[in-house]
Amino acid sequence: MENVTFLDVTQMDGTTKTFAIIDRGNGEFTSMPKADYEASTLPSNSSTPQAGA
Amino acid sequence: MSRAQLTSTVEQNTGGAVAPFVAGKNFLVNGLHEIWQRGTSGTVSQSATAYVADHWWGTRFGGAAGMTMSQTTGANNLSYGLRAQRTAGNTDTSIIQFGQNIESLHAEPLRGQTVTFSFYVRAGSNFSSSSVTVGLQANTSTDGVYFANGGWGTNFASTTLSSANSNLNTTYTKVTVTGTVPSNAVGVCVVFLYSPASGTAGAADYLDVSACQLEIGSVATLASRAGGTFQGELALCQRYYYRQSGTENASMFLGYGQAYSSSQLYWTTRLPVQMRTTVQALDYYGLQVYLNSSGSGYGISSISINQSSSISPSLFVTCTSGLSTNTMYNIFMAGSSSYLGFSAEL
Repeated sequence: MENVTFLDVTQMDGTTKTFAIIDRGNGEFTSMPKADYEASTLPSNSSTPQAGA
Repeated sequence: MSRAQLTSTVEQNTGGAVAPFVAGKNFLVNGLHEIWQRGTSGTVSQSATAYVADHWWGTRFGGAAGMTMSQTTGANNLSYGLRAQRTAGNTDTSIIQFGQNIESLHAEPLRGQTVTFSFYVRAGSNFSSSSVTVGLQANTSTDGVYFANGGWGTNFASTTLSSANSNLNTTYTKVTVTGTVPSNAVGVCVVFLYSPASGTAGAADYLDVSACQLEIGSVATLASRAGGTFQGELALCQRYYYRQSGTENASMFLGYGQAYSSSQLYWTTRLPVQMRTTVQALDYYGLQVYLNSSGSGYGISSISINQSSSISPSLFVTCTSGLSTNTMYNIFMAGSSSYLGFSAEL
């Protein structure tokens, strides 16, 4: 079961960037900017795939 | 055997005999399923890392569980194929789909062209779907992703695999699909899609594909590597994903980073090839920070992108605590299963 947490990281210029840290539950992690994570998880709940020609 | 005979019914070639292995002929990356940087099997979920074989994505509609992708034996004397499987015991009937999105830059020469998608396919003895749709789709979004949109739209070419059509059996059968890419296509995708039947998945509820090739022309030729050679294919795969792993050296040092606080350090690394775009995501397992002078190891709580780059990304490495500011630390593999991956997949 995946567990996603959001992490604010202060960059060298003082700005803060938020990352999604996806815990795969087996010690494996994936890290990406929060915006990219949110974009990538939209799909599966969207419309029905187009199977036909 | 002339190239004209092999690749097209319309193009002419007066250069004499040409072997059917021409770099770039196959528009699919890793079409022979030889590159598995992430490992040879994996569970597919709705997350962004639904890749197992390099550059081949898989997803189950609705983010349903119960799908794996793995390496299998290939067809036509090839070593490997790609298997999409409903996990034994799974009762979910959500659509299973897998395929490959072709980067817009690579798809551009396909615009308005007649193309042929060829592949070998076989089904497991417990395959529960009555048919499989194979579609070629195009979209008008730069580097668009098929599964991110629940399908792009209408197939510009497709075929249906089924036992009734005599093209879906438990032994490999070669199938070809030919169509014309829309002239305004910005991206092209090949997709396999099917719905498992109601009931419980058996141990062999899978679909295997091998020797996948998308080429210009109306005649399917012998499948070849897009990158020409194995090394070329690997470099092409690394345009989208690169993984350093501990399989060759369980305590490999990856590089040095400088602590800027008691819990964080910066580390800039160099990738073997320039990626498609700046690094979009990292995945990692079993890494540690290490101080050579003291022999002390520090657990890593997260790694994230500091300054993204397509060739030389800078990373934040966050530890629990105990680092000394401005001290150089090593980032290393803590075991043979350890890895750090950089993704610029579509």
